[in-house]
Amino acid sequence: MFGIPMILINLVIAAVAAMIWLALNALVLVYCERKFAGHIQRRPGPFEVGPHGALQPLIDGLKLMSKQLLTPDNADGFLFWLAPILSMIPVMLLFMPIPYGPVLTGMEVNLGLLLILAFSSFNGLAVILAGWGSNNKWGVLGAARAVAQTVAYEIPLLLTVLSISFMTGTLNLSEITAQQAGFIWDWNIWKQPLAFLIFIVAMFGETNRAPFDLAEAESELTAGFHTEYSSMGFGLFFMAEYGYMVAMCSICSVLFLGGFYGPFPGIEGWWWMLVKTYALLFLMIWARWTFPRVRFDQLLNLNWKWLLPLATFNLLATALIMKL
Amino acid sequence: MELMAKVAFCVYTLVILGGSIFAVSSSSLVRALVGLITTLVGVSGMYLLLATPFMAFMQLLIYVGAVSVLIFFAIMLTRAEAGGDEGNSAPMRTYVLGLAATMAPAGILGWLVLTKPVESIAVPVEISIKELGAGLLGTYFLPFELISVILMVAMAGAVLLTWEKRGKK
Repeated sequence: MFGIPMILINLVIAAVAAMIWLALNALVLVYCERKFAGHIQRRPGPFEVGPHGALQPLIDGLKLMSKQLLTPDNADGFLFWLAPILSMIPVMLLFMPIPYGPVLTGMEVNLGLLLILAFSSFNGLAVILAGWGSNNKWGVLGAARAVAQTVAYEIPLLLTVLSISFMTGTLNLSEITAQQAGFIWDWNIWKQPLAFLIFIVAMFGETNRAPFDLAEAESELTAGFHTEYSSMGFGLFFMAEYGYMVAMCSICSVLFLGGFYGPFPGIEGWWWMLVKTYALLFLMIWARWTFPRVRFDQLLNLNWKWLLPLATFNLLATALIMKL
Repeated sequence: MELMAKVAFCVYTLVILGGSIFAVSSSSLVRALVGLITTLVGVSGMYLLLATPFMAFMQLLIYVGAVSVLIFFAIMLTRAEAGGDEGNSAPMRTYVLGLAATMAPAGILGWLVLTKPVESIAVPVEISIKELGAGLLGTYFLPFELISVILMVAMAGAVLLTWEKRGKK
């Protein structure tokens, strides 16, 4: 068709689908987050707009969009506005190689897992630039925390992912899913329980979610790195955070929970992926409203003294068992 | 497809050049770091064009994700708020010398490419990650291990340096 290669058309469709998927998830998750928070704290949560407050995220979005975009005095305007964009763009790429269903993969990439890890590391950079660029003490403090945190939590995450790819012998997410076909005990979680636990904990650290949300820490740093952002500047950070959450939970379901395969053969489909991803997302929201925020030294101690040695041990054990 | 490859090459070249010019011309260190990151992203695009996606993603993962964050850490620790000496405008002579230093390798390489054209201009074949690993642990075993020894020495040296400082206190 007009000499446009098929792969390009495919790519554009996948990109648009990823954007829609991201926006829909952000809307649903904002609602879920506020409702869960409410019920965990024994109050109904948003209730006024729509039945049971179901239209609340739309109204929130409208409110954010109609606000004024402010750049603080003496801030580095270029870096200040680069940061939210830099945090948003890679998220869409993250969804490309994830197999959401038997044919529902945006782009078949042989090194899909590596692509995801490479682009998810942009988020830390965006947080740092935001904190630095806004010429605000809280922002800089948030950025400083984000630096130490992202550098630290990336390592156990990489090590656990590596142990999965040691076991499966591939970095292609579709192949990793295919190897878990069959019954529920064929899923990787039973072969790598320790890696699963480490991945879950490191996932919280990577996505800056409570109890590891030290980069924003609203009770200490007002809002940390996004203190100075108004309107959609904040909105983009917000959407990116939910995007990273969805991406991380999807990857976790693919790596450990069998992806789009059901608990017994013959019923695979995208709905399993959705169920697993949302179960993990629920876990993340649940943890946020249950656990208090950790102190910064506790955060780093947990990572360097527990997660890193355990992940290294797990990797070595996997390599040994695979060799035998 | 060949036209697209050429377009991609031009885009990546522009990204690399633009990033590096931004890096050397900006007055604040953090902005210079952004320029450096842009250049690194452009280089990873070049790796993609050479059909080595593994190198491209590793470039992003290590340089953009880790090394640049560490550089930022260093900037923060030194409290180089806005500029330092680099922020002041330099005399004309510095610019001319800098330009000469940049153009010299470009000129030599350009002359080599133009006068002694490469024998093969075939499209590079993508090498699977398994072959890459087998190559690293087979044919190139000695250099690979030597690199890890160098890294080990660097790490031990860094630990040793900070150890001394703590002892003096």
